[in-house]
Amino acid sequence: MMKNFLSCICAMVLSISLPGGSTAASDADYQQAMRALTTNDYSSALRYLESAMTQDPDNLKYASEYRQAAIRSKDFDRSVAFFEKLAASRPQSANIHLNFGFAYVDKIPTAGSITQVILANKALNEFSRAVELDPNWINYYTRGASYLFWPKIFNRAPLGVADLEKALKIQSTGPRRSYYVKVYVSLGDGYWKTDQLDKALEIWRLGLKQFPGNQQLKFRLEHKGAELQDTIESSFDPNKRVDTDLRELWIAS
Amino acid sequence: MDSFVKLKACLGIVLLCIFNHAGSAQSTRPAMRFEEVGAKAGVRVQHHTRSFPGRTGDVLRMFTSGGAAVAVGDYDNDGFDDIFVTDSEAGKPNHLFHNNGDFTFTDVAVKAGVAGGNDPLSIVSDALWFDYDNDGKPDLLIARFGTPILYHNEGNGKFKDVTASSGLNKFGNTIAVIAFDYDNDGYLDLLFGNYFKPVNLLDLKDPRVLPNDLDNATNGGGVTLWHNTGKGTFQEVTEKAGLGKITGWTLDIGHGDLNNDGLQDFYIACDYGTDHVFLNNGDGTFREVTEKATGWDTKKGMNADIADYDNDGWLDIYVTNITDEYMKECNMLWHNNGDGTFTDVSRETGTCDTGWGWAAKFADLDNDGWLDLFVVNGLRSAGPESYVPLILPVITTPGLDITDPNNWPPIGNRSWSGYQKKRLFHNLGNGAFKEISAEAGVDNQLDGRGIGVADFDNDGRLDLVQTNANQPLLLYHNVTAHAGNWIELKLTGVKSNRDAIGARVTLQTSSGTQIREVDGGNGYAGQSMRRIHFGLGSATKIDRLEIRWPSGHVESVTVPINRISTVEEGRGIVSR
Repeated sequence: MMKNFLSCICAMVLSISLPGGSTAASDADYQQAMRALTTNDYSSALRYLESAMTQDPDNLKYASEYRQAAIRSKDFDRSVAFFEKLAASRPQSANIHLNFGFAYVDKIPTAGSITQVILANKALNEFSRAVELDPNWINYYTRGASYLFWPKIFNRAPLGVADLEKALKIQSTGPRRSYYVKVYVSLGDGYWKTDQLDKALEIWRLGLKQFPGNQQLKFRLEHKGAELQDTIESSFDPNKRVDTDLRELWIAS
Repeated sequence: MDSFVKLKACLGIVLLCIFNHAGSAQSTRPAMRFEEVGAKAGVRVQHHTRSFPGRTGDVLRMFTSGGAAVAVGDYDNDGFDDIFVTDSEAGKPNHLFHNNGDFTFTDVAVKAGVAGGNDPLSIVSDALWFDYDNDGKPDLLIARFGTPILYHNEGNGKFKDVTASSGLNKFGNTIAVIAFDYDNDGYLDLLFGNYFKPVNLLDLKDPRVLPNDLDNATNGGGVTLWHNTGKGTFQEVTEKAGLGKITGWTLDIGHGDLNNDGLQDFYIACDYGTDHVFLNNGDGTFREVTEKATGWDTKKGMNADIADYDNDGWLDIYVTNITDEYMKECNMLWHNNGDGTFTDVSRETGTCDTGWGWAAKFADLDNDGWLDLFVVNGLRSAGPESYVPLILPVITTPGLDITDPNNWPPIGNRSWSGYQKKRLFHNLGNGAFKEISAEAGVDNQLDGRGIGVADFDNDGRLDLVQTNANQPLLLYHNVTAHAGNWIELKLTGVKSNRDAIGARVTLQTSSGTQIREVDGGNGYAGQSMRRIHFGLGSATKIDRLEIRWPSGHVESVTVPINRISTVEEGRGIVSR
């Protein structure tokens, strides 16, 4: 009974995470945008993608492509403003809140150190809203990972660990996806950040068993002390761009 | 053994010899060593930050927690550099430590008439020796959150307050001041760096005085430039010189000839937002070149020291920012590319992380011919709790007016980036620095602010004064055992300003070429000795020593090594 319930949840999660529900019109806009991107015509691409998202606001693919185009054209404020408007018009859409949060994250490396904190906090609020609306794998993973970026002094890593443990639980009930490896890496980092090195090693080992050859996991298991610390801290450097491209969700095995 | 094997063996021996030689060169490089002698030397005085009344007093005190400054100068021309140290609390005296010549000092501030300045409506924040009237006697400027005080050196151990007649009557919340002759008319001008906008923090009508943005603040005090008329007075020329548009929270200014055109340029380090680079047009005006030179930044610039750390003949700039567990700004070591652009090489050189940085000074502390770098840091060392988590709601609450101190929680006994170890970076001469503060004996954890570098015992090894906010002064005596050879030059301008500020000296030995400029107070809250110091390493002969005076006159001189020499413009070596 329980197993069935979890399978249902998992199927639901996948159906929400994957792009879908696109209309012919929105898809046509999306195709126009993709064509514009091939010639680096970001202005047109962003306009077409905004049109596509307005017609199909829940579509993760449109949103992800839009943000990636905005990153390339450095239109961070436009992206934030667009998602803000979209979220206001569709406040119950978890996918919009998720991407709204990512729009803030995308801007962080370009901002000053204090603005980075403000943006990270705004992103976290949107990720929390996404979890409230739809407690699925991507939302738990995203919020959990985002908590880990906060300096230790703010004591948010334990919250990140809790979210990532939930994400792990969700992914352990369905078919294996290549992107699930991210949870093993991040959860281990979360344990490391909360001074639970044994648990960190255990989850990284478990992850490597599931995803043999993963370089991030291998590196973490092969190094310790200052080298491990440097690697982990470097992966949470707010001045480095975080990969927020979601396409793995629909192209991964 | 065939010839190929022989060749390999020979090559191996040659390589081994090369590596062994390199290794021995490294191991024989003299290690630096300092002894803290503040108490023994009689300079162990406590600085006090200004306290403010009321609920917001706590916050204002924190935002004004500078003011611990040092200015080194030989006010009585006895050949030994003296030390002026500021206090900031109401009624607390400044200190003028006369150098007795035996590494002890006597506080003569009251007798000399320079102890005052911390009155109920003014806060002493910085100090500067400069000979504004070219009479050969260093005068003293006291910068304040208030109007400055200009003391004329009367030459008899006493100073006379000439502020009223000097024209320096404008209120400003000045935190930094440098003297340089920007128009090369032979008289030293003054550039003030102002932190808050010009409102009296001790008599606030409107409490909203804090930065309006913590990355891009536009409500700071900017800078003010005062032209020395040569008649004992100064005239404000900020707008005329093209500096009126700066609205940043200036914490420091460093000057130097950044583009090797013979004119003095400057770098402004600003808290809460971008720094600025200005080049001198040579007609009494400056042009801002920040965008091309360094780009705009959002960091918390605290310090600007200027020197040629890599001996390539171009002046570089070191700026401290905030790097801590919760903020990863990284300092900036702006390498001068010689084409109007600078590249930040702080990460590559290992000088990026110095905690909550304040003053930083380049100095060749082991006389090996390469400039080392001493950096002080730490905001507030108090109780075990941190103030940082309390700031988060202030920063992240939408619409909260952060300019109002009432919206900031009291800090109480909390620490904020406190107990940070000072950093001493040994220049390895290969583009990298090695942090050696512990082995050198300077890794104290006080809340450092200013640094004064000087050779207080005239032994050719540079000593260090470190001021600390609300904490005692430290004096580090350089006792490095195997320091290299050296020369020191006291330059006296004739056509140029008498202090020779802005003079560039180029030294060539078998080891290479070095440059130095006489600076008028570069570096946060600290003026170093005016004498030029060169470390020569093992070189015993100077191939070329050339002085380019601010007037444009260029002369070559011959000086003995391991001696202090006095050079007068146009006359070469003269007796002191």
